[in-house]
This record gives sequence, structure tokens and C-alpha cells, in this order.
Amino acid sequence: MEKFLKMSNIFQNIAIGLRAIKSNPTRVFLTSLGLTIGIFTVSIITAGVSSIDKEFEKSMAYYGNDKLYVSTWPWSFNFDWWKYRNRPRIEEDNLQYITQYSEYIDDVSLRKTTWIRGSYGNTASWLQINGVYPSYQDMLSGTKIENGRFFSQNEWDLQRRVIIVGATVRDGFFDGQDPIGKTIRLGGVSFEVIGELKKQGMGMVPGGTLDNLVIMPSTTFKRILTRWGFDELVLKTKPEQMAIAKEEAEMIMRVARKLKPDEENNFAVNSADAYKEQFDSLKIAIAGVGFLVTGISLIVSAIGIMNVMFVSVKERTKEIGLRKAMGATSRNILVQFLSEAVTISIIGGLAGIILVKLLTLVLATFLPVSFDLLLIFYTFLVCVFIGITAGMIPARNAANLNPIDALRHE
Amino acid sequence: MSKKEIISIESISKIYQLGDNVVKALDNVSLKIFENDFISIMGPSGSGKSTLMNIIGCLDVPSKGTYKLDNIEIDKMTDSDLAKIRNQKIGFVFQTFNLLPKLNAVQNVEVPLIYSSLSKSERISKAKNALNSVGLGNRLDHKPNELSGGQRQRVAIARALVNSPSIILADEPTGNLDSKSGLEILKFFDELHQAGNTIIVVTHEDSVAKRAKRKVEIFDGKISKDE
Ligand SMILES: Nc1ncnc2c1ncn2[C@@H]1O[C@H](COP(=O)(O)OP(=O)(O)OP(=O)(O)O)[C@@H](O)[C@H]1O
Ligand SMILES: [Mg+2]
Repeated sequence: MEKFLKMSNIFQNIAIGLRAIKSNPTRVFLTSLGLTIGIFTVSIITAGVSSIDKEFEKSMAYYGNDKLYVSTWPWSFNFDWWKYRNRPRIEEDNLQYITQYSEYIDDVSLRKTTWIRGSYGNTASWLQINGVYPSYQDMLSGTKIENGRFFSQNEWDLQRRVIIVGATVRDGFFDGQDPIGKTIRLGGVSFEVIGELKKQGMGMVPGGTLDNLVIMPSTTFKRILTRWGFDELVLKTKPEQMAIAKEEAEMIMRVARKLKPDEENNFAVNSADAYKEQFDSLKIAIAGVGFLVTGISLIVSAIGIMNVMFVSVKERTKEIGLRKAMGATSRNILVQFLSEAVTISIIGGLAGIILVKLLTLVLATFLPVSFDLLLIFYTFLVCVFIGITAGMIPARNAANLNPIDALRHE
Repeated sequence: MSKKEIISIESISKIYQLGDNVVKALDNVSLKIFENDFISIMGPSGSGKSTLMNIIGCLDVPSKGTYKLDNIEIDKMTDSDLAKIRNQKIGFVFQTFNLLPKLNAVQNVEVPLIYSSLSKSERISKAKNALNSVGLGNRLDHKPNELSGGQRQRVAIARALVNSPSIILADEPTGNLDSKSGLEILKFFDELHQAGNTIIVVTHEDSVAKRAKRKVEIFDGKISKDE
């Protein structure tokens, strides 16, 4: 074993392998193409999945791991919208039942949502408007008041036109200047900016960015924007009580809605895990396709390497006989040809890594390709594995050759 | 002076079965070879000379009979033991040289050393010494196709010698050479014999056989003469 692993022997074998490759560059190139495609796919998939994860984390934060949303429709539905078509809107009154009967819900708020064009001077942009209770201040998730303040109970009672704005408002309307105290127009009415939210970035939510948000008292929303938007009830619980709180909310809502036992819910209690399921299945789909492509390309390259090795053994039958006559053991010959296969495989892998590196330089701007040392390490392992697997049969054929027959071979 | 017996062949046969056709390449052959013997083996084509050489060289095993080398029965040995014997005790010289075409002279001579535990620098210096001793010190970097037939065979002899084996087996070493180159090669065999090596040469030429101290003749797989 120690002799088997001797460094000088390994280098000797690699040298022999390299010589064999030099005499066969086209075949080696074609073989390595499979490895290249495999590595490239893997690196894109890994990067893709990890960026989906990142987006997902942000979206989770946006919806919160301690919040339930009582809405008309479930967040994820299977294109059977007709089933939900005639559902009643969520009524603010239902909140009373929840606050009254719930054990697990700590805080509640109405949330009215609509999209509206906001403008300041000559700039205009679509904004997502939320009309909420003062209690919503403690129910913000994934962000917080960074500048200024939330509206007060008094302002809510008086239906004041005050708003808290997301980070895009600062950049979109005020060139990065402090927006506090400024006035922007929403649907033709002026609102005073009293607070600003911390930047959240892009996320997997309708509209993409989590920052073009405007929050105002729900009373103001009702008075000025009454005809648009939909209502939800936002319920705050504790992360570890999500499941039970969800059940409870459902029960209370059924009571509030006076549903008979055999009637289906005509509302939905949503939470971020509904998205998690969707993201997970998306991730699995991407990873599945990726690994299929990778698997096929690796199998193709393994077959290629095997073919190169069969030819190499055939061409060098006489050499094998001679080496055996000179004292090579079957094991020496086996190791020689396995090393050759692994060398070819690693050269293919290197070519793949270089190509991926070049492609990341070109594509980095619009494709989430990442490139790191771990990839090189795994590529190396995969190449060694493929080389050994693909080289095993030809190398054993070589090792088992009878020296006399091999020497006589022309 | 009683010489040490290094090869002992006892009633060995080598039988090839090709369909219904049974070929007895060797038929009940016995032969003892002593240290520092210089033996020539002659006989018509197909008589079994190469078969015998291959068995002596541990490249092949007999179908019947026993073969002892240095008092060790070859039958009882593993594949890697046999490889080690070929590597350490035996040097082969072939009619067709059998050099590796892509390697230069030094690299070709290095081949047996790869399979014994030596460092790269030791291997190279040993290979160069061996080439010097066959007068090719000025052809170290030449590939086989850049050498004459005689020079090629001298590289092959250097390769056979490089691990200082005690037995040199040569199967028609001059068969592919003109008489002048052949003489040069034979000179090395004389020298090796004087240096104490055991030499066994298969040949068709009387001029070669004449140098041997002991002449064995083979006919139809049987030893017909041993003197
Ligand atoms: N692998 C084999 N299969 C079948 N028959 C074989 C095989 N090897 C050798 N023989 C037969 O064994 C006999 C002896 O062959 P061998 O090569 O020993 O002859 P030789 O004396 O060396 O002849 P030459 O002088 O032509 O080299 C021949 O008849 C040959 O056909
Ligand atoms: Mg012969």
C-alpha cells in the first residue's frame, strides 16, 4: 500500500497519462466538454438556489414568522379561483371577535392595501399603500422606523393625512434627501411624510421590491381612497405558537362568519410558510432539472473517458507486455491506467472551471452565477471519481493482460 | 569447483489446445542451469525455444512439471512475487528490441527502475551509467527511431542490465541485426559472462552459439542435445 501511494510513482503515472493525452488531444477535448457542461450547470444551479434562498429569507422577514394574515383568498391557490370568486370581503368587525376570544393572538391590525400613483413635483411612481391601525407600528416585520415616527392614535382618530414611506420614496422622489416633513401627492391628495422605513431590497413579493411601501392610518385610507384595495386582518402571535394561533383564528373567524359545520371556510388564514412551500417546490424543480442535466453530461463524459481508455489500452498492449516483463505488477498497470483516466478527467474538469470562470465574468451582471473555491474542490472530487469509475474496466483489462500475448501483439 | 544451481526445470510441458489440435510446445523437458553458465539454445522454428525462455523468465507458467528459481518453486508464487523476480533477477533482451517509441534512451532504460523503489534522480543516474557501459553515453536523448538497429539493441541491453540482474535472457538478440552490429552485441554478452552473470541466448546462428560454453538443442519440444 505504501508503495502503491508513493509520490514519485504517482507523478510518474501522471507523466505517463499526460503523454497519452498529448497524443490524443481531440478525444480528450470532446470528453472534457461533458465535464465542462456538468460543472457549469452545477455552479449555476447552486448559485440560483442560494439566491432563491436569499430572496426567500427576505420575503419571510417581510411577512414575518409571527404573523397571520386573514384574507379573502389563500396566498397560494391552484388556479381554481372560481371557488373563491364569491367570497365575501374581510370585515373590520371580525377583529373584535378575535381580540375578544383569542388566547394566542397578542395584537391585531386591519390592513387595507391598494396601489396608487404617487407624485412629487414632476416625478411620479406606483406605490403600495397600506392603511393600518396605530398598533401596526409594533407589527412591522423585516423593517422598522428608521427616521421620523409612526402615526399616533390621535392622528388615526382624526383621519390625518400623514404617511410613513419606504426607502424607494427617498430615492425616487427626493434624490436621497431626507423626506421627513415633505409632502407627496397620492391620488391627487397631499400627504405629509412623518416617518421613513429601513431599506429591505428586492424580494419575492408582488411588485418585486419591498421598499415602495406607504403606510397611513386606515381611517384616512377609508376616507380618501375608499373605493380601492382589499382588506386583511394582520394578527401577531409568537413564532412558536403559529400553528395553534392559526387554528384558533380559523375557528373564531368561522364563528364570526356564522358558518355551519359542513360549510367550507369562506376566508383564508395565511402565513409565510405558504410561501415556503412554494419556494421549496421551486427550488426542488430547479435543482432536479440541474442535477439531471449534470448527471447526463457526467455520464456522457464518463463514457467518453472509458472509450479513450479502451483505445489507449489497445494501442499500448505491447507496452503493457513489456512493462510487465520489466517487473510491473498487475497493480502497477492498473494504477497507471487509472491515473491516466483521472488525469484526463481532471484536465476536463479544469477546462470546465476555466470556462465557468470566463462565463461568470461575462454573465455575472444578469445571472446569479457564483464561483468559489468550494466549486474547485468539488470538481476535483467529482473528476477523480469519474476518472476512476470510467477507467476501472479498461485499466483492469490492461492489468489482466497476459505478458506474452501482449508482447506478441502488433 | 561446484557451481550453484540457480535454475532447475523438472519434466515440464507446455501444452496449447486449439480446438481439437493439441500443440505440445514443450514436452517433458528437464534442464539444470548453474550460476555463470553461458548457454545457447538452438532449434528449428516452432520447436519451443521461446516458450522455454518465457517460462525461465517467469513470463509464462508450464502446464506440467516444476520450475525452481534460486530453489523457490515458481508455482507457489503470487503475481507480484513473479513481477519482483522479473524486475530484480532477470534481464530480457528481445529480437525486436521492444523499446517504447515515445521515450528517449534514458527513459527507456529507466522503465525497470520505475518498478523498484528508487528516487527519480537515482533512476536517471543508473540509467545513464547503463547507457555509458554499452557505449551510448552520447545518445541519451535519442528516441528509438533516431538510433540504428545495433544502437537500439544496445539500449535494450542497457535496460536489461540496469537493475543488475543475475540472469540475462536473450531471444534471438542478433536476429534483426547485420553481422557487424551483431558482433558488438555479442561482445557485451561475453563481458557480462566474465562479470559473473548467467546468460541464456536463443539463436539460429552458429557464430553466436560458438561463444556459449554450453549448447542446448531443442527439437519438437524436447531437448535433443545438451553439451
Ligand atoms: N499462444 C499460443 N497458442 C498456441 N500455440 C502456441 C502459442 N505460443 C506458441 N505456440 C506454439 O508452440 C510452438 C513453439 O513456439 P515457440 O514460439 O516456442 O517456437 P520457437 O522455437 O521460439 O520458434 P521461432 O524460432 O520461430 O521463434 C509453436 O508450434 C507455436 O505454434
Ligand atoms: Mg521464438
